[in-house]
Amino acid sequence: MATPDSVTLRRFVYDEILSRGQPPTAKRIGDHFGIGPSDAKRRLAALKIGKTVLAHPETGEIWMAGPFAASATPYRVVGAHQMWWANCAWDMLGVAVIANEPVRIDASCTDCKCPVTLVASPERGVESRWVVHFLLPARQWYDDIGYT
Amino acid sequence: MSLFRSEEHLGRWLAANDATRGEVLTLEQTWQLARAWYSDPRDPNWRPRSRDESQAVLASVGLVGDFWELPR
Repeated sequence: MATPDSVTLRRFVYDEILSRGQPPTAKRIGDHFGIGPSDAKRRLAALKIGKTVLAHPETGEIWMAGPFAASATPYRVVGAHQMWWANCAWDMLGVAVIANEPVRIDASCTDCKCPVTLVASPERGVESRWVVHFLLPARQWYDDIGYT
Repeated sequence: MSLFRSEEHLGRWLAANDATRGEVLTLEQTWQLARAWYSDPRDPNWRPRSRDESQAVLASVGLVGDFWELPR
Protein backbone atom coordinates (compact mmCIF):
# COMPACT_ATOMS: atom_id res chain seq x y z
CA MET A 1 0.00 0.00 0.00
CA ALA A 2 1.25 3.48 -0.85
CA THR A 3 2.51 5.79 1.86
CA PRO A 4 -0.56 7.66 3.10
CA ASP A 5 -1.14 11.31 2.39
CA SER A 6 -2.86 13.37 5.09
CA VAL A 7 -6.36 12.84 3.69
CA THR A 8 -5.91 9.09 3.48
CA LEU A 9 -4.47 8.92 6.99
CA ARG A 10 -7.23 11.11 8.42
CA ARG A 11 -9.93 8.98 6.83
CA PHE A 12 -8.27 5.79 8.08
CA VAL A 13 -8.06 7.14 11.63
CA TYR A 14 -11.73 8.06 11.72
CA ASP A 15 -12.84 4.90 9.90
CA GLU A 16 -11.10 2.95 12.63
CA ILE A 17 -12.67 5.01 15.40
CA LEU A 18 -16.18 4.70 14.01
CA SER A 19 -15.91 0.99 13.31
CA ARG A 20 -13.78 -0.16 16.25
CA GLY A 21 -14.57 2.39 18.95
CA GLN A 22 -11.03 3.63 19.43
CA PRO A 23 -8.28 5.22 17.37
CA PRO A 24 -5.69 2.98 15.76
CA THR A 25 -2.31 2.51 17.37
CA ALA A 26 0.81 3.57 15.52
CA LYS A 27 1.54 -0.11 14.94
CA ARG A 28 -1.88 -0.66 13.41
CA ILE A 29 -1.45 2.39 11.20
CA GLY A 30 1.99 1.17 10.24
CA ASP A 31 0.76 -2.34 9.46
CA HIS A 32 -2.08 -0.98 7.34
CA PHE A 33 0.09 1.31 5.25
CA GLY A 34 3.25 -0.75 5.23
CA ILE A 35 5.34 1.67 7.25
CA GLY A 36 7.00 1.36 10.66
CA PRO A 37 5.33 2.51 13.88
CA SER A 38 7.82 5.35 14.33
CA ASP A 39 7.08 6.59 10.82
CA ALA A 40 3.37 6.33 11.59
CA LYS A 41 3.85 8.48 14.72
CA ARG A 42 5.78 11.04 12.72
CA ARG A 43 3.00 11.24 10.16
CA LEU A 44 0.38 11.53 12.87
CA ALA A 45 2.28 14.40 14.45
CA ALA A 46 2.45 16.12 11.08
CA LEU A 47 -1.22 15.56 10.32
CA LYS A 48 -2.55 19.03 9.68
CA ILE A 49 -6.21 18.54 10.39
CA GLY A 50 -6.91 21.29 12.81
CA LYS A 51 -6.31 21.45 16.50
CA THR A 52 -8.33 18.45 17.53
CA VAL A 53 -6.26 15.42 16.57
CA LEU A 54 -3.56 15.26 19.15
CA ALA A 55 -0.80 12.77 19.67
CA HIS A 56 0.16 12.04 23.25
CA PRO A 57 3.31 14.04 24.03
CA GLU A 58 5.07 11.03 25.57
CA THR A 59 3.84 8.01 23.64
CA GLY A 60 3.14 9.57 20.23
CA GLU A 61 -0.09 7.57 20.04
CA ILE A 62 -3.39 9.30 19.27
CA TRP A 63 -4.62 10.94 22.46
CA MET A 64 -7.79 12.48 21.11
CA ALA A 65 -9.31 12.83 17.68
CA GLY A 66 -12.00 15.40 18.16
CA PRO A 67 -14.64 14.82 19.28
CA PHE A 68 -13.51 11.29 20.20
CA ALA A 69 -11.30 10.44 23.17
CA ALA A 70 -8.82 7.57 23.00
CA SER A 71 -9.55 6.35 26.51
CA ALA A 72 -12.40 6.23 28.99
CA THR A 73 -13.98 9.52 30.06
CA PRO A 74 -17.19 10.44 31.92
CA TYR A 75 -18.94 10.71 28.53
CA ARG A 76 -19.77 7.41 26.84
CA VAL A 77 -21.74 7.31 23.59
CA VAL A 78 -23.33 4.02 22.59
CA GLY A 79 -24.55 3.34 19.06
CA ALA A 80 -26.21 0.30 17.54
CA HIS A 81 -22.98 -1.60 16.98
CA GLN A 82 -20.23 0.37 18.70
CA MET A 83 -19.46 2.65 21.62
CA TRP A 84 -17.18 5.65 21.81
CA TRP A 85 -15.71 7.96 24.45
CA ALA A 86 -16.08 11.71 24.11
CA ASN A 87 -13.78 14.37 25.51
CA CYS A 88 -16.47 16.55 27.08
CA ALA A 89 -20.18 17.34 27.17
CA TRP A 90 -20.00 19.26 23.89
CA ASP A 91 -18.04 16.46 22.26
CA MET A 92 -20.48 13.76 23.39
CA LEU A 93 -23.00 15.43 21.10
CA GLY A 94 -20.32 15.86 18.42
CA VAL A 95 -19.79 12.10 18.51
CA ALA A 96 -23.53 11.64 18.05
CA VAL A 97 -23.46 14.01 15.06
CA ILE A 98 -20.59 12.19 13.36
CA ALA A 99 -22.01 8.73 14.17
CA ASN A 100 -25.19 9.96 12.45
CA GLU A 101 -27.39 7.37 14.11
CA PRO A 102 -29.53 7.22 17.25
CA VAL A 103 -27.26 6.90 20.27
CA ARG A 104 -27.49 6.50 24.01
CA ILE A 105 -25.20 8.69 26.08
CA ASP A 106 -24.14 7.61 29.55
CA ALA A 107 -22.79 10.54 31.55
CA SER A 108 -23.05 12.06 34.99
CA CYS A 109 -23.36 15.37 36.81
CA THR A 110 -19.93 16.94 37.30
CA ASP A 111 -21.04 18.09 40.75
CA CYS A 112 -22.85 15.18 42.39
CA LYS A 113 -21.80 12.37 40.00
CA CYS A 114 -25.45 11.41 39.61
CA PRO A 115 -25.64 9.31 36.42
CA VAL A 116 -27.83 10.24 33.49
CA THR A 117 -28.78 8.48 30.28
CA LEU A 118 -29.53 10.72 27.34
CA VAL A 119 -30.87 9.75 23.95
CA ALA A 120 -29.80 11.66 20.85
CA SER A 121 -30.70 11.13 17.22
CA PRO A 122 -30.10 12.98 13.96
CA GLU A 123 -33.82 13.58 13.60
CA ARG A 124 -34.79 14.56 17.12
CA GLY A 125 -31.63 15.92 18.68
CA VAL A 126 -31.48 15.53 22.44
CA GLU A 127 -34.11 16.35 25.01
CA SER A 128 -33.09 17.00 28.58
CA ARG A 129 -33.12 19.77 31.16
CA TRP A 130 -29.46 19.20 32.07
CA VAL A 131 -27.04 21.99 31.20
CA VAL A 132 -23.52 22.35 29.82
CA HIS A 133 -21.04 24.72 31.42
CA PHE A 134 -18.30 26.32 29.33
CA LEU A 135 -15.74 27.24 31.95
CA LEU A 136 -13.17 28.90 29.70
CA PRO A 137 -13.80 31.65 27.15
CA ALA A 138 -13.23 30.66 23.53
CA ARG A 139 -9.95 32.55 23.36
CA GLN A 140 -8.49 30.04 25.84
CA TRP A 141 -9.90 26.83 24.37
CA TYR A 142 -6.67 25.85 22.64
CA ASP A 143 -4.20 26.96 25.32
CA ASP A 144 -4.42 23.50 26.91
CA ILE A 145 -6.85 21.37 24.94
CA GLY A 146 -6.66 18.52 27.44
CA TYR A 147 -7.80 20.80 30.26
CA THR A 148 -10.42 22.50 28.10
CA MET B 1 -17.26 21.63 28.86
CA SER B 2 -18.96 19.84 31.69
CA LEU B 3 -22.43 18.45 32.23
CA PHE B 4 -24.56 19.41 35.22
CA ARG B 5 -28.02 18.31 36.19
CA SER B 6 -29.06 21.91 36.95
CA GLU B 7 -27.83 25.45 37.46
CA GLU B 8 -28.01 24.75 41.20
CA HIS B 9 -25.53 21.89 40.89
CA LEU B 10 -23.29 24.06 38.73
CA GLY B 11 -23.31 26.77 41.40
CA ARG B 12 -22.42 24.25 44.06
CA TRP B 13 -19.54 22.89 42.01
CA LEU B 14 -18.21 26.39 41.25
CA ALA B 15 -18.23 27.25 44.95
CA ALA B 16 -16.56 23.99 45.95
CA ASN B 17 -13.83 24.44 43.35
CA ASP B 18 -13.36 28.18 43.74
CA ALA B 19 -14.09 28.51 40.04
CA THR B 20 -15.63 31.34 38.06
CA ARG B 21 -18.81 30.82 36.12
CA GLY B 22 -18.35 30.83 32.36
CA GLU B 23 -21.34 30.41 30.07
CA VAL B 24 -24.15 27.90 30.34
CA LEU B 25 -25.96 26.31 27.42
CA THR B 26 -28.95 24.03 27.46
CA LEU B 27 -28.44 20.61 25.96
CA GLU B 28 -30.61 21.69 23.03
CA GLN B 29 -28.31 24.66 22.41
CA THR B 30 -25.27 22.40 22.73
CA TRP B 31 -26.80 20.00 20.22
CA GLN B 32 -27.25 22.84 17.74
CA LEU B 33 -23.65 23.87 18.35
CA ALA B 34 -22.40 20.30 17.82
CA ARG B 35 -24.38 19.98 14.59
CA ALA B 36 -22.94 23.22 13.29
CA TRP B 37 -19.38 22.59 14.49
CA TYR B 38 -18.77 18.96 13.60
CA SER B 39 -18.84 17.26 10.23
CA ASP B 40 -17.66 13.81 9.26
CA PRO B 41 -13.84 13.77 8.93
CA ARG B 42 -14.17 10.70 6.70
CA ASP B 43 -15.57 12.94 3.99
CA PRO B 44 -12.77 13.35 1.41
CA ASN B 45 -13.71 17.02 1.07
CA TRP B 46 -13.43 17.69 4.80
CA ARG B 47 -10.90 20.37 5.70
CA PRO B 48 -10.01 22.29 8.83
CA ARG B 49 -11.90 25.55 9.23
CA SER B 50 -10.16 28.88 9.44
CA ARG B 51 -10.49 30.90 12.64
CA ASP B 52 -13.03 33.20 10.98
CA GLU B 53 -15.06 30.27 9.69
CA SER B 54 -15.20 28.81 13.20
CA GLN B 55 -16.24 32.18 14.57
CA ALA B 56 -19.04 32.26 12.02
CA VAL B 57 -20.19 28.81 13.16
CA LEU B 58 -20.44 30.06 16.73
CA ALA B 59 -22.38 33.11 15.59
CA SER B 60 -24.72 30.95 13.52
CA VAL B 61 -26.05 29.36 16.70
CA GLY B 62 -26.24 32.65 18.56
CA LEU B 63 -22.94 32.46 20.43
CA VAL B 64 -21.64 36.00 20.10
CA GLY B 65 -19.84 38.39 22.40
CA ASP B 66 -16.51 38.51 24.17
CA PHE B 67 -16.77 35.07 25.79
CA TRP B 68 -17.17 33.38 22.40
CA GLU B 69 -14.36 35.30 20.67
CA LEU B 70 -11.78 32.80 19.33
CA PRO B 71 -8.08 33.67 19.57
CA ARG B 72 -6.63 35.72 16.72
